[in-house]
Amino acid sequence: MYRSKFWVYLFLLLIAGTSAVPASAFCGFYVAKADATLFNNKSEIILVRNGQNTTITMSNDFKGDVDEFAMVVPVPVVLRKDQIRIARADLFEKLDTYSSPRLVEYYDPMPCMPEYALEVCDAVALSSSRMNLSSMMVFDAATNYGVSIEAQYDVGEYDILILSATESDGLKRWLLNNGYKIPAKAEQVLEPYIKDQMKFFVVKVDTQLFASSGYQELSPIQISFESDRFMLPIRLGMANSQGTQDMIVYAFTQEGRIECANYRTVKIPTDRNIPTFVKPKFGQFYTDLFEKAYHREGENAVFLEYAWNISPTFGVKCDPCNGPAPIVQDMMNAGVDWVDARNGQPQVFFTRLHVRYSRDEFPQDLLFQVTPNKEHFQGRYIMTHAAQGDMSCDEGQAYLSDLEVRRKKEVDELYALTGWKKDNAVNYIHEFSNQKKGEVFPIAIPGNGGKPGGMLMILVLGMVLSIGWWWVNDRRLAI
Amino acid sequence: MPYSSTLSLSHSDRKSLDPRDFQIVFLASFLLYGIIALDWAVEWDKYVVLLVTAVVVQLGFEKAFAKSKSSWKSAVITALGLSLLLKSGELWVLALAITLAIASKFLLRMDGKHVFNPGNFGIVAVLLLTGEAWVSPGQWGSGIMLLLFFGSAAAMVLLRVGRIDTCLTFLITYGVLEYIRTILYLGWTHDVFFHKMCNGSFLLFTFFMITDPVTTPNAPKARILWAVTIGGLAFFLSNWMYISTAPIWALIIVAPLTAVLDRKFKHQLFQWNR
Repeated sequence: MYRSKFWVYLFLLLIAGTSAVPASAFCGFYVAKADATLFNNKSEIILVRNGQNTTITMSNDFKGDVDEFAMVVPVPVVLRKDQIRIARADLFEKLDTYSSPRLVEYYDPMPCMPEYALEVCDAVALSSSRMNLSSMMVFDAATNYGVSIEAQYDVGEYDILILSATESDGLKRWLLNNGYKIPAKAEQVLEPYIKDQMKFFVVKVDTQLFASSGYQELSPIQISFESDRFMLPIRLGMANSQGTQDMIVYAFTQEGRIECANYRTVKIPTDRNIPTFVKPKFGQFYTDLFEKAYHREGENAVFLEYAWNISPTFGVKCDPCNGPAPIVQDMMNAGVDWVDARNGQPQVFFTRLHVRYSRDEFPQDLLFQVTPNKEHFQGRYIMTHAAQGDMSCDEGQAYLSDLEVRRKKEVDELYALTGWKKDNAVNYIHEFSNQKKGEVFPIAIPGNGGKPGGMLMILVLGMVLSIGWWWVNDRRLAI
Repeated sequence: MPYSSTLSLSHSDRKSLDPRDFQIVFLASFLLYGIIALDWAVEWDKYVVLLVTAVVVQLGFEKAFAKSKSSWKSAVITALGLSLLLKSGELWVLALAITLAIASKFLLRMDGKHVFNPGNFGIVAVLLLTGEAWVSPGQWGSGIMLLLFFGSAAAMVLLRVGRIDTCLTFLITYGVLEYIRTILYLGWTHDVFFHKMCNGSFLLFTFFMITDPVTTPNAPKARILWAVTIGGLAFFLSNWMYISTAPIWALIIVAPLTAVLDRKFKHQLFQWNR
């Protein structure tokens, strides 16, 4: 008897926990985007993985004196010169715009004039931010430090060295003595990379060349190599940092989505109906939404923000589009070497991940894996404009009642997603109430629509475990 | 002599205490935890396909092999295991995985027991054959709470089936090797080590897959040897081949060794609900 009640309860709980209803069908316009520029302390990386080949393109938004710029990246192999390139800076902007979370707009049809029933939608997008790379260089006799210069190249405005080292202290001293401002605690992080046979890709700017180029900003650097490891070393960048850093990863594969192999990859909340007043503050909305999701998921998850098949022959590459989808030339610029006109029907799948990492919550470097998961995903938020005009007909009155309920839900959803206060939303909910005939009744408050809190999880689990325990013991006693 | 090394209850009690009941409750609660707390996508169609296919295939084989005692609970456990571990966008891939998993129990047998852990076999088979399936080792995240949660649940099952030795030996072997490499050799801090060891998928494997009493060797000594081999191989595959799902591959490779060890170390064959 009790047992059957338990199962009924469990079933109800399951239904409740999983009935976050996805919003209506996709629509063709886009109104606003939440792009990467909204996030401070941010870097952008393009990852291309094909078999054992990896191409990494690192954006460079270094703003200080280029003399001060330096970058040290652990890499698994000694790179050849032809494996190091300069990439186009606008590539990041394009990928960011294309894949950033978006706001779409719908308009309710006029209930009293059904012939006007039109459904228009529109969208708004957001974008990401730039990487935190610092240090600098001039070369010195390396052997005294246990450091070997494996290769030395000039690529674009950069002087590049590939170093290997036998001990971290020597490498640190060599870098410091040669003018690289590396973080004070870098040594203890350099050590494991050295022991793991990693090489160091070390970059500084050739200031004369840069000055003569006339460019205002440093170019993104692109490296390719063959390795079983599909990872991004984040620990070095955190050596001196107590805070968090945001990283946006744009990934291209043949098979499907990439996901993180040693941290959780979770979807950013999507297809949520939000109030129309969010439109001018959509950027703030998304940064607050991300912040809340980041805390809710334990500050140690990687967020999926976009996933789509962008093969040249694939039809709809976004729905709605924030910006143009990457074309073949963009993909080739990113290092997608299999997307060639002579290559039949090449498959290209694009994934956008957003990770906010800190030293404490992300002790390991990010490991990735390519999966055959081709399911599309986008961060998409929906606002629906109310119909306006004469609402005196019965349908109009019913519409107004429904509208209040809907707007209440939107406000609750907004609160659940961002934590924005509900106090100011009363006018929004009752904006059209004066058109209602007769008395206006207060509306029942629907649930917040958010996911259950951590305590509930613990309670549920505790319950399930104890019921399991009780169940078995009960059987034992019954004999 | 009945199998009773870890059970001290009376015969009738033992009959009522089928550890598989625990396993079903725990695995289902893990799935529930993943869905509610970890924001997993809810895929009812996949769970239903796995469960129904598992039971149908199991009953079909039992009929074909004229088995008098039904093991539908084992089939449910395998289906729940695959629901937790295996991902695919295609229902037929999951149906194939569970069919191969259950079929392997009846078709790939040596010395009266099946060679491979059914779930492990099903997963590896579709990973290799279809290219449409994957395992997400990061899906649980990592944390000490997972260790306690999975560990305490597993203890309730393993103490009953007498496979806590296998689980601990694997954990210690892998842990010691990982500690030597990560901390003593590479020089990472302890939190890196704990982050690796408290990975939820790794723990689930340790507590619920490698410990399958039917496919582990019968003799305690043999099980220790067996678990050490899997631990060593998983460590190698993870750190030198960079395979993020190393334990799954290590288990499938080492599984046939059970038959060899059973011949070398004679011991009573395990049976559920003796």
